[in-house]
Amino acid sequence: MIAFLTFATVVLLFAVLVLIARAGELTADLKNGKVDYTSQSKWNGYFLLAFLIIMFVGSAMSFKILMPVMVPKAASEHGVQTDFLFNITMIIIGIVFVFTQIALFWFAYRYNESHGHESYFYPHNNTLEVVWTVIPAIVLTVLIAMGMYEWMHIFNPDARDKNMMVIEATGKQFNWMLRYPGKDGKFGERIIDKEHVSPTNELGINWEDAKSHDDFMSDKLYLVKNKPVLMKLGAQDVLHSFFLPHFRVKMDFVPGLPTEFYFQPTMTTVEMQEYLSHEPWWQTINPETGQPRWQTFKYELACAELCGKSHWGMQRDVIVVEQKEYDEWLAKQTPMYAPAVADIAPADTSAKKEEPKKTAMLEKGK
Amino acid sequence: METAHAHATDHHAHVHGHEEHHHEETFLTKYVFSQDHKMISKQFLITGIFWGIVGGLLSVLFRLQLGWPNETFPFLETFLGKWAEGGKISQEFYYALVTMHGTILVFFVLTGGLSGTFANLLIPYQVGSRDMASPFMNMLSYWFFLGASVVMFFSFFIQTGPASGGWTAYPPINGLRDTAINLGSGLGFDLWILGMTLFIVSALLGGLNYIATVLNMRTKGMNMFRLPLTIWALMFTAVIGVLSFPALLAGCVLLEFDRLLDTSFYLNNIVINGNLLGYKGGSPVLFQHLFWFLGHPEVYIIILPAMGLVSEVLATQSRKPIFGYKAMIFSILAILVLSFIVWAHHMFVTGLNPNLGAIFTLFTLLIAIPSAIKVFNWIGTVWKGKVRLSTPALFAIGFVSMFITGGLTGIILGNSAIDIQLHDTMFVVAHFHIVMGVSAFFGMFAGVYHWFPRLYGKYMNETLGQIHFYITLVGAYAIFFPMHFMTGLPRRYYSYANFETFNNFNFLAEFISIAAIIVFFGQLLFVINFFYSIFKGRKVEAETTVDGYGYANPWGTTTMEWTAPIDRLHGNWPGDIPSVHRWPYDYSVNGREFIPQTEPLKPGEVPHE
Repeated sequence: MIAFLTFATVVLLFAVLVLIARAGELTADLKNGKVDYTSQSKWNGYFLLAFLIIMFVGSAMSFKILMPVMVPKAASEHGVQTDFLFNITMIIIGIVFVFTQIALFWFAYRYNESHGHESYFYPHNNTLEVVWTVIPAIVLTVLIAMGMYEWMHIFNPDARDKNMMVIEATGKQFNWMLRYPGKDGKFGERIIDKEHVSPTNELGINWEDAKSHDDFMSDKLYLVKNKPVLMKLGAQDVLHSFFLPHFRVKMDFVPGLPTEFYFQPTMTTVEMQEYLSHEPWWQTINPETGQPRWQTFKYELACAELCGKSHWGMQRDVIVVEQKEYDEWLAKQTPMYAPAVADIAPADTSAKKEEPKKTAMLEKGK
Repeated sequence: METAHAHATDHHAHVHGHEEHHHEETFLTKYVFSQDHKMISKQFLITGIFWGIVGGLLSVLFRLQLGWPNETFPFLETFLGKWAEGGKISQEFYYALVTMHGTILVFFVLTGGLSGTFANLLIPYQVGSRDMASPFMNMLSYWFFLGASVVMFFSFFIQTGPASGGWTAYPPINGLRDTAINLGSGLGFDLWILGMTLFIVSALLGGLNYIATVLNMRTKGMNMFRLPLTIWALMFTAVIGVLSFPALLAGCVLLEFDRLLDTSFYLNNIVINGNLLGYKGGSPVLFQHLFWFLGHPEVYIIILPAMGLVSEVLATQSRKPIFGYKAMIFSILAILVLSFIVWAHHMFVTGLNPNLGAIFTLFTLLIAIPSAIKVFNWIGTVWKGKVRLSTPALFAIGFVSMFITGGLTGIILGNSAIDIQLHDTMFVVAHFHIVMGVSAFFGMFAGVYHWFPRLYGKYMNETLGQIHFYITLVGAYAIFFPMHFMTGLPRRYYSYANFETFNNFNFLAEFISIAAIIVFFGQLLFVINFFYSIFKGRKVEAETTVDGYGYANPWGTTTMEWTAPIDRLHGNWPGDIPSVHRWPYDYSVNGREFIPQTEPLKPGEVPHE
């Protein structure tokens, strides 16, 4: 019934508008078929000025209301730099936005035909053209230089710390597989062929490689504060993208094409919560949990490349801790080797006869 | 030039003879299988409007889900059946909606509908030609477009639904013909490829024709630097299309090989549920290169015609020459060249070689320079003009405002280091909707309101047009301005409920959805106005009558389209095609409000160039 009433109201509204518009046209017919553009221009001039003001007020309100809600400050070393670059660019384009919009709408108001003036024949001015070519060119050169410098810094393999952690993340529909190299710091070899890849060994880990024996899977991404980490990324089935919004990290997972991303977290989860507890918006109570928002804050991992119907659900918690806590956590992890090979006859190197319960282990957290 | 003139005269004689002997046209040759550029223009426009409504409606449906993720809408089940069981849009259908929304608006409305309409209408009228270089190819161009439309529309009604792997058609999700991986990657995506193939054929037939017509069929005296900016923009658009669409076609054909013949152009080491499939050696990134080799020029295919229309409308309605005519031409040329070497800025985080990322940052940000020149020139055109704030002028001003807002955020996104965070988030959605979606629509509306009298001999209703303008301007900003603040939120999410980080913006999503629904209904005002005015609109009254043909110049424009009679004749001019003596922007000069291009120079008068 409500749907019908809404529908009827909309139809009636349209009908009224059409009738009003038709009336305007009939009036024009009385004036020898000419629309009175002088009076229309006058009103539209005022409307455009009003819109200019509404637009600026709306923009200011957007900043006031929405800025505090945004993903908080960067928690990684390069993230601080890219945020700085973002803010610089934002200020520059903000200034250009304000001046050009004012010029556009003010001129449309000031020089509309209701003012009874004559138009000024002024087809070109080469000096002006040069000025407004050169100034943007200089500003852009600076932005390009800063951006390229930062970009090459982020992706420079020679600048990496030798003591970095290495973690492997593999995306598949609709889950993440996070593999840690264990105590030896080295990953067991993976072989992608029909011998090794099976429903119980989706990654194709070569269990004969001793380095694989202490590798373990985690359902949460544990990182250490101030310890650089190299994420080795790969996909099983379709494209995914490894997105850590708080660390300004994003890199696609491409089946058959390994990718990586190197970064350094700079704040533990607890430190970020502490920081946010001073922010007014984060002090407000979240109606869903009944707690202040900062208390339930957590770093998260998301998928940022459309990968199918549950693309939106690929969530994992990310936890950044101090080295000591990390070591404690590390000690508690069980390597996946023992359960994985338990059922395979020692002579049988292929892993394809394993039982389905291992799959459950590999996918824990789902 | 001599040859062109001789040809034009020759052509004219032929058409004249033609009209005397077979004046009778059947319904079929006049309205359906028409080879007349004006009728083909109308066909493109009305098909485009149809697609505009469909594409907009799809966005309303997915905005319902995004704005109210926890609500159910029982009426949806009535209309959509299994796609919205219990009144909630299914995940599969949600992704089909966003995929088809993108496909339809980018290709079928803003490429086919925009270029198809205005290149067909304006090129022959404004260069002074009786029709396109090949009217038959032109007819085929529309019929391939309609064929593409039928195939795309049909794909909504099959068992597994339309394509749902994103309008970018990335493999492997679209490269594996397996509905278990993605429901829309079955028959739905085959139809998508078929539809796009037909569409590309249409775009190429049309584009070649537009280029040939502009280069070869100009009337006497119409040298290149006397062409209105609309024609420059439409010709450069066609050049971009002809050079880039084939890359997409090649990409799509290889993709279909992967799907149907199990080749491995884009697939390598795919593991589905622990089973290694037999694909070896392909690269999904290769498809992205091919796709964006069209995909990026495509955004200029969309925006250049709008820029051309707006330049013309602003000059005419401001009663003032476009500021920096040649700077405008060279900046479009610069955009054309640069548009081919920026495509990989869509791929900064795909594992591309970082050196490549740096180079593409450079070229991408360079494109801001010609764009800035154009913006300053438009503002310069309005400055000290005598602006008639009619509906087309309002939309042209709205276009400039939108283009500034959307263009500026491109400077942020084009910088690869910043793009790491922003890539595939709502910030990108906000950016490209403003700069190419809404802007191009504003340009298109400016064009439709401005040239409707030329198309139909009637005016569109001003009052409805202005209401439509304000709803669209305010509404579009309300939708897309606040969306920039969702910087960290990934796009193409069915719901943000799984994430603590993204769940804070629900109030904004609801606000945006309400604005989007209002704007959608606001567009229906345009549709009503359009069809109402075709039949009942105020007629264009003849100002002069020569040989029984009425002539008028409703906006007082200098360009050639109104030197033809109000009635749309086959062949456009009943007698000789007028020749051109001056540049197209003699407004408010020599004590005259405007001097048509066809008016000879006075003794002693120095031409503008």
